[in-house]
Amino acid sequence: MSGGATQVANQIADELAGCGVKLVASLPDNWLMGLINALDGDRRFVHVRVNREESAIGLCSGAYMGALGSAAVMGASGFMTVVYAITKINYTYEIPLFLLLTLRGEVGDHHKHHVSNGLYLRSVLDAIKLPYQVIAAPEDIASISRCYHHTRIYSRPMAVLFTRDFLIGRRA
Amino acid sequence: MKYLDCFRALARQRTDQVVITSAGNSSQAWWAATRDTEASFYLDASMGLSTMFASGLALAQPGLRIWAFMGDGAFCMNPGMLMVERQMNLPNLIHFVVSNRVYGATSNAVLPNFADNDYAGMARSMGLDRVFELGSVESIERELAPISAANTPGHTFVVLEVEPFSEAEQKLEQPPFDGPELKFRFGRYLEGRTDCNVFGYRI
Repeated sequence: MSGGATQVANQIADELAGCGVKLVASLPDNWLMGLINALDGDRRFVHVRVNREESAIGLCSGAYMGALGSAAVMGASGFMTVVYAITKINYTYEIPLFLLLTLRGEVGDHHKHHVSNGLYLRSVLDAIKLPYQVIAAPEDIASISRCYHHTRIYSRPMAVLFTRDFLIGRRA
Repeated sequence: MKYLDCFRALARQRTDQVVITSAGNSSQAWWAATRDTEASFYLDASMGLSTMFASGLALAQPGLRIWAFMGDGAFCMNPGMLMVERQMNLPNLIHFVVSNRVYGATSNAVLPNFADNDYAGMARSMGLDRVFELGSVESIERELAPISAANTPGHTFVVLEVEPFSEAEQKLEQPPFDGPELKFRFGRYLEGRTDCNVFGYRI
């Protein structure tokens, strides 16, 4: 991992810790490995590896009811599998949830099998009225805590979407 | 054992446990057996996630003892959760699989491979040590208290073998709460019991 990517991962971790996140549930996306490894080695967090993205939704939602700050980290493809869990749990009961996702399938993604995410990720987010903010540059990192706190005001989920260039520490 | 008899027996054995139910029959049966409006979260709106929800709560509040119910239909949708539960190994959580071999909330449609599914065996294969199978009211009354009270580290998994809902049980009332009311009732109860701050303001 490049020095820039490590710096970005550590900045995200600092931002999450600063807004009270203690539990991080993750399922990997290659773009996220620097962040996931940083969170895993950071004693400010309890990092739980899950094997299905819906489990991260359940864990974080239960943690909220126990007054524990949390974040679910997953790729765009993973997010596309959790619409049921989010609409049923987080919208029915109005339980906040903070999601950190990859903005797959857009400029900078070299993988053709993520074209579908480029086509549909934002449309799906819009369809279920799940607000999101794109994090594309280091200047955007402060938005992470603002978005986290918004979930607590909004009492529903919100996502931040990381671009590849941002996660690898490259200026677009 | 009859489904509702099982839940009435569980309710009699309950002391201070917080309860998370799952979609369908377990919510109906627990509501019928307890009419609990504070210390139970009826997680009707999901399948296969009640124990993940309970795990998040158990991690957040290690001083609480938590029971989480899940039908075997829901269990079969997300059996990989046992790997996560084993990894977390929370001593304050009991995962109950209510095994009736059918999708009870869907007119008792049978599960795939229903006759041979071995839920306890699946749990053991994923490394869980504290695995129990209870198939009668008598076994619940005899064995659940020591299982539940045991000061043993590690996650506990209990399979309850029950009959599918009878025609009369299918007519049991659903917990009547709107989602936000349930959230606030349960959250305020937890705040009072643990002095935590769920909603960012206390009343």
